Amino acid sequence: MSSVRDRNESAWLLPADGKRVNHQLRQDMRRFDDSDEVDLLVVGCGAGGSTMLQRLARAGWKVVALDAGPFWDPAADWVSDEAGSHHLYWTEPRVISGSDPVPLGSNNSGRGVGGSMVHYAGYTPRFHPSDFHTHTHDGVGADWPIDYADLKPYYEAIEEELPVAGEKWPWGDPHSYPYRPHPVGGNGEIFLRGAVHLGLTAKVGPVAIVNGRFGNRAHCIYRGFCLQGCKVNAKASPLITHIPDALAHGAEVRANSMVTKIEIDERSGRATGVHYVRDGVPHFQRAAIVVVAGYSIETPRLLLNSACDRFPDGLCNDFDQVGRYLMVQGAPQTAGRFDAEVRMFKAPPPEVSTEAFYETDPTKPYKRGFSIQTVSPLPITWAEHVAAQGHWGADLREYMSDYVHWSCLGALCEFLAQPDNRVTLSEEKDRHGLPIAHFSYSQCDNDAALMRAAQSVMENILHAAGADEVITIDRFAHLVGGARMATDEEQGVVDAQCRTFAVPNLYITDGSVLPTQGSANPALTIMAVAARAAERLISISRRGN
Amino acid sequence: MAPDIRFFTPDEQGIATALCDQLLGQHDAPTPEAKVPLVNLIDSRLAEQQTDGWHYDDMPADGQAWRDTLGALDADARQQFDSGFAACSRQQQASLIQAVQDRGADDWHGLRAKRVWSLWTRYACTAFYSHPSAWSEIGFSGPAYPRGYKNAGVDKLEPFEVHDARPSEDPLRGQRGAQE
Repeated sequence: MSSVRDRNESAWLLPADGKRVNHQLRQDMRRFDDSDEVDLLVVGCGAGGSTMLQRLARAGWKVVALDAGPFWDPAADWVSDEAGSHHLYWTEPRVISGSDPVPLGSNNSGRGVGGSMVHYAGYTPRFHPSDFHTHTHDGVGADWPIDYADLKPYYEAIEEELPVAGEKWPWGDPHSYPYRPHPVGGNGEIFLRGAVHLGLTAKVGPVAIVNGRFGNRAHCIYRGFCLQGCKVNAKASPLITHIPDALAHGAEVRANSMVTKIEIDERSGRATGVHYVRDGVPHFQRAAIVVVAGYSIETPRLLLNSACDRFPDGLCNDFDQVGRYLMVQGAPQTAGRFDAEVRMFKAPPPEVSTEAFYETDPTKPYKRGFSIQTVSPLPITWAEHVAAQGHWGADLREYMSDYVHWSCLGALCEFLAQPDNRVTLSEEKDRHGLPIAHFSYSQCDNDAALMRAAQSVMENILHAAGADEVITIDRFAHLVGGARMATDEEQGVVDAQCRTFAVPNLYITDGSVLPTQGSANPALTIMAVAARAAERLISISRRGN
Repeated sequence: MAPDIRFFTPDEQGIATALCDQLLGQHDAPTPEAKVPLVNLIDSRLAEQQTDGWHYDDMPADGQAWRDTLGALDADARQQFDSGFAACSRQQQASLIQAVQDRGADDWHGLRAKRVWSLWTRYACTAFYSHPSAWSEIGFSGPAYPRGYKNAGVDKLEPFEVHDARPSEDPLRGQRGAQE
């Protein structure tokens, strides 16, 4: 593989003077007119959309990306304040229901250029080879129309571009990382100590946080604010890993532009562009190819809101697949209390993880598994843990005052794809008058069994490390699915190249195309899937020419 | 200075102040200035519709849910103690609040009590623990920007940090002791 800088110069395009943004690059950005037919238009500048944009700009395509949120300046817009970071989340109204309703917003939904990778923890594990065949091997979930081997080169490429730091990884397809593991803080120390006592393998990483020299990215300062937007430019998000290179190669990023509808030509059945609203004014941008990358809630919502004569039940929804098979991961967090001071807030929350429980264990009554990682909640999030135990008033204050003595682990349990876990349109409208998303979620028995198993392992690790008391909060993390990849149009929305079955020049390259999710944080896989789709598009067009 | 009240009516402000002071144990603050202005901070979010980005299908949107539940709490107070919630004694207020928590998954004035509890505690805890005075109370050393932390690890301190002033006061052991 060629050197990273030859493929993606983003880190070298950032300023070296302590400012976090190359303002000149943004000022000189190419700007298209609505009436220009761009070669390709991307909706959403998160993990999938930004990767797509950068790859195609590099190949010389005329590309523009629209994002509903702002074009962030980490120095000016992001604050050292947990509550003040609320504007990083997508907080437009949404309705949740089902037997296990999943809170959205801060937990799993980003806003603005960089998407939810602006506030993700920074863990970037690969999926395991088994994740692509869970139906065949375990009789649960779904098989992907592609294999681990199809994604492997893209995993390797993206790991270099972010870049990822971590120990040599023994699980799944064993591999190493381009950067050495970070030193660990108190929370990582506790996890490693507990694992040693149990004879359990735990490793430092994998995190997309610079450890050493990489272009003009700054080294991590271990202040623990990964989930509030990294003002340092140490933690990777597309805002700093892919957008600068895209701009340098002629891409336009049009921020504060909310796409409301994809337009379809009724005669040809092809997409002609998108309607969007900027500063209250409706626009229509023409495009030869449209790529949707709005993530698992907004992508299905946009398709459903783009109904037309040809697609009366929503775009690409001839077989009632849009919005279905939406997944979250069960993400219980268990905290342990130590007489020593752990001060878990002093280090990035993502430090140490184990994938020893990732695969199906034939001795267990459930299929598939879970991973365990350090999480290090800041005060507001820690208060959620304590309040969840029922404490309030003086009791809550006293409990909270013990913050420095606690260590906290989180699990990611593989929840299975189910057709009725889905996005539909609500009666309620947003400020543009568009129906908002209604997300219904219910667990199955396998999901619940994994939650209990993961909690018990976390309790064992913390007790083995010396905790005198443990508390657990049940929660969810991440979103994938909702417009899944499949072998045919009756099983999903897009094919193995991320092209929609129904509209030949409409693609989806975000987390919504993932048919399963394993127990891995999805960001790296979303980027790898998008990078693969981009390469396919480029090679098809070369052949066409 | 705390932001002005824009969302709550004066009656709602009074009920919300009593409720939030109870939830975060703020009654014993030595001066009004020593209290975190919880209701002003919550009111700001509601005035600006800065929600968490979702609401349950069987709950109204957050602003309306706050209005409805403050009204319901006041109605409970009038029924049981013949007085508005804000004018009830601290013990009376505490018993009314405890009754809502105790209902768990059951209905309370047509809403699921645990969702009401989640709404109140989510907003109140977010406001309280966003405040530097609360950070001091719990030993959070702050956002550390741009200086960062250089000495992370179990029992390790930065030059500007201090150890827990009351290391033997473990609330958990205290509770166990009380129960035994």
